[in-house]
Amino acid sequence: MAKETLTEVITLAKSGSDQVAKKRSVLPWVADNGIFIFTALLIIFSAVFVNGFASLVNITDVFHRAAPIGIVAVGMTFVVISGNYLDLSVVAQVATSAVIFLAVSNQYGVPLAMLAALAAATVYALVNGIAVGYFKANAVIVTLATTYIGVGVLRFFSGGSIFFGPEDGPIRAFGTSKLGPVPYSALVLILVTIILAFVLSRTNFGFLVKSFGSNESATRLGGVNTGFVIVGAFFITALAAMIAGWVLAAFSNTAVSSMATGYDFQALAAIIVGGTSVFGGKGSVPRTLLGVVFVSVLTNILVLSNISFGYQQVALGVLIVIAVTVDALSRKAVKR
Amino acid sequence: MATSSQKSGDVVVEARNIVKRFGGAVAVDDVSLQVRRGEIHAVVGENGAGKSTLMRVLAGVIAPDGGDVFIDGQRIETGAKNSISAGIALVHQELSLVPEMTVAENIMLGYAPTRLGFTKSSDLNVVAKKALDEIGVSVDLNERISRLSVALRQFVEIARAVARQPRVLILDEPTATLTPAETDYLLNMLERLAEGGMAVIYISHRIPEVFKIGHTVTILRDGKQVFNAPLADTTPESVVDQMVGRELKRDLQSRRKANPGAVVLDAQGIRAPGVNGIDLTVREGEIVGLGGLVGAGRSELVRAIIGADNRTAGRVTITRQGTTTVLSTYQSSVRNGVAYVPEERRTDGLALSMSVADNINLTNRKELSRWGVQLRRRISTFAQELADVVGLRPPVITREAGQYSGGNQQKIVIAKWLGRRPDFIVLDEPTRGVDVGAKAEIHRLVRDLADKGTAVLVVSSDLPELLELSDVIHVVRDGLIMGTLLAGEANEKNVMSLAAGEKMVDA
Repeated sequence: MAKETLTEVITLAKSGSDQVAKKRSVLPWVADNGIFIFTALLIIFSAVFVNGFASLVNITDVFHRAAPIGIVAVGMTFVVISGNYLDLSVVAQVATSAVIFLAVSNQYGVPLAMLAALAAATVYALVNGIAVGYFKANAVIVTLATTYIGVGVLRFFSGGSIFFGPEDGPIRAFGTSKLGPVPYSALVLILVTIILAFVLSRTNFGFLVKSFGSNESATRLGGVNTGFVIVGAFFITALAAMIAGWVLAAFSNTAVSSMATGYDFQALAAIIVGGTSVFGGKGSVPRTLLGVVFVSVLTNILVLSNISFGYQQVALGVLIVIAVTVDALSRKAVKR
Repeated sequence: MATSSQKSGDVVVEARNIVKRFGGAVAVDDVSLQVRRGEIHAVVGENGAGKSTLMRVLAGVIAPDGGDVFIDGQRIETGAKNSISAGIALVHQELSLVPEMTVAENIMLGYAPTRLGFTKSSDLNVVAKKALDEIGVSVDLNERISRLSVALRQFVEIARAVARQPRVLILDEPTATLTPAETDYLLNMLERLAEGGMAVIYISHRIPEVFKIGHTVTILRDGKQVFNAPLADTTPESVVDQMVGRELKRDLQSRRKANPGAVVLDAQGIRAPGVNGIDLTVREGEIVGLGGLVGAGRSELVRAIIGADNRTAGRVTITRQGTTTVLSTYQSSVRNGVAYVPEERRTDGLALSMSVADNINLTNRKELSRWGVQLRRRISTFAQELADVVGLRPPVITREAGQYSGGNQQKIVIAKWLGRRPDFIVLDEPTRGVDVGAKAEIHRLVRDLADKGTAVLVVSSDLPELLELSDVIHVVRDGLIMGTLLAGEANEKNVMSLAAGEKMVDA
């Protein structure tokens, strides 16, 4: 702003009707910046008033729970910013990755297990991405359907049984190791966040995802292969869900088709609370990480306060309704 | 001429000092009119003269910024419901029927008779039949609209208005899609309705129709009322002159000296919905203009040429530096030096919530990145240079595109394509809703492009603009080129008469 010269300011003032003044409203500001303040306040509040929050054991626990959901959320941010609401099939994707990872590594070792999980992630990305990006099918319905297909296939192949990892070995070692109070899974979350933040904010691909979310038609008329961009957004989400599956399998050393139930909704909560707009075009990966911290801490203090799971669900639901409403209202407020 | 049936009934509807602005542009500027019982009142004017806006104010669809509407001397509050209950019925320019519902359901849509909240199809049919009988059209009440011809749909639309037994019937370009025989039928029908005591407001481009059935005429130009009198007191020539208004001799000095080179764009046998087989070439450094009325198929044509919409037939090639490439998809067009400034800049031209720099980056991203990673400094110097070239004011590239005025937004759209140094550029209504100053600057940019050798294709409903910019004008009607005029021979009259499809005046 300081770079505007005096003449520009005068032109601005004179041109009155030429410039559409941004209406002053507190809501857009809250939607943009609220998460920083709310997260800070929540952490301070928890540390001071909630018994057992500020202990090392508890902090490690928060990290452990936040890591897989967080990895899913930062990946899914791409689909949300592209204006396609969300990818419900992350529930199936995380479970598929975890089951394949443990089942294959037991017989063929970790590298092949990773490759097999990657193949499954690619299939999810292609089916979701092509249906939504090229055939313009509704993302919510497509990914709801692929969730069903994915979970169904998983049940069919596993026969409903739980897969266990080996008692010792690299997977187990990774799942139980920590750097101070920070488990390795949380380090993976931070690494994935850094990489995806770069992809979204600095690469042409990330730019096109945002541009598509802002205005699909203008992006297409800019000569962009928009179908490819959407497949890419679903591919990033699938890769993140795959990594989340590995992390979760390593931590719990078990894998079952229902293991990621609720991840879709919790990831969405983190994304929206972080300030990424469900209307597309606006948001960032670091914001989602903040949203993950907020949601995880909130859940944690509810658990510590012995509030039952039912009420936790209510709290998460209420949080999403508030965040989505603020998003919608702030959009209205800046609209002319 | 229908002067014999001149009625001097009571004034039914009156508009007093109506003003309507859209942003900075004044669409209707202090217009008043009165229509009497049994009178057919014609409203004429060029595209964008404010006719449709005025009618939408009368029908209560949009609120005026100034002025009032009266029925029988009673002021009506704005609101479509109020206007309908006061007896005003508007037949829209765009058909507003529901394709998957039946004729009867469409006619009764919105005010079907109900019994305890349920509609009974026999009730619908009785009232719908009566409305169709009144306008003398026979069509199966249970047929779906999607299975009817465009003309029949138009009549169903009118039946829908008539079913409400309005005191004032407003028709906005009802004959645009009709054949001559169908048009005659419609005109006779309107005369009968007027004889029955209805006040009819009839909007048309087509001067002969107006003289055939109208009693009085209001001429609008640039939102202002320039004439309002019985048609008996005027002549078709005088009406056209007043519609066009401007001195017909153009300032030839301001024209650039066209020096077209080799053919750059070659489109042959283009067919698409609304386009019925058109051949078109644009040469290096040439500005080709496409004239015609709204709905003639011009936008459809250019979109089919560049592949933004699918074509059903035709072949398009672009020749650059001696190499000829076939353009099949829109992406291949853009890759091969085609630029497109679309008609709807707010929905198709720009991402309004993104910055000026980002909008410019969209079309130039390959040049402004390395291995897919954005070169931020290069993006900002590149965008800043272009913002200066197009005269963006203020030239702040970090500002959201949506915060700029229409003229500046259009400059951003042009800037994003200028960066690609296009060989062929299509501009669809480049200055619609743009203030006079920005318009002149945009015209200068278009001429500069042509002077540097770009082949330019301009679609414009603004006749002076079309005449000023174009080296050649093709006039499009019904998806066909009806005539081609060179810069020296084109004037507002001969373009208009080709566009309207009537030999109303000698070219």
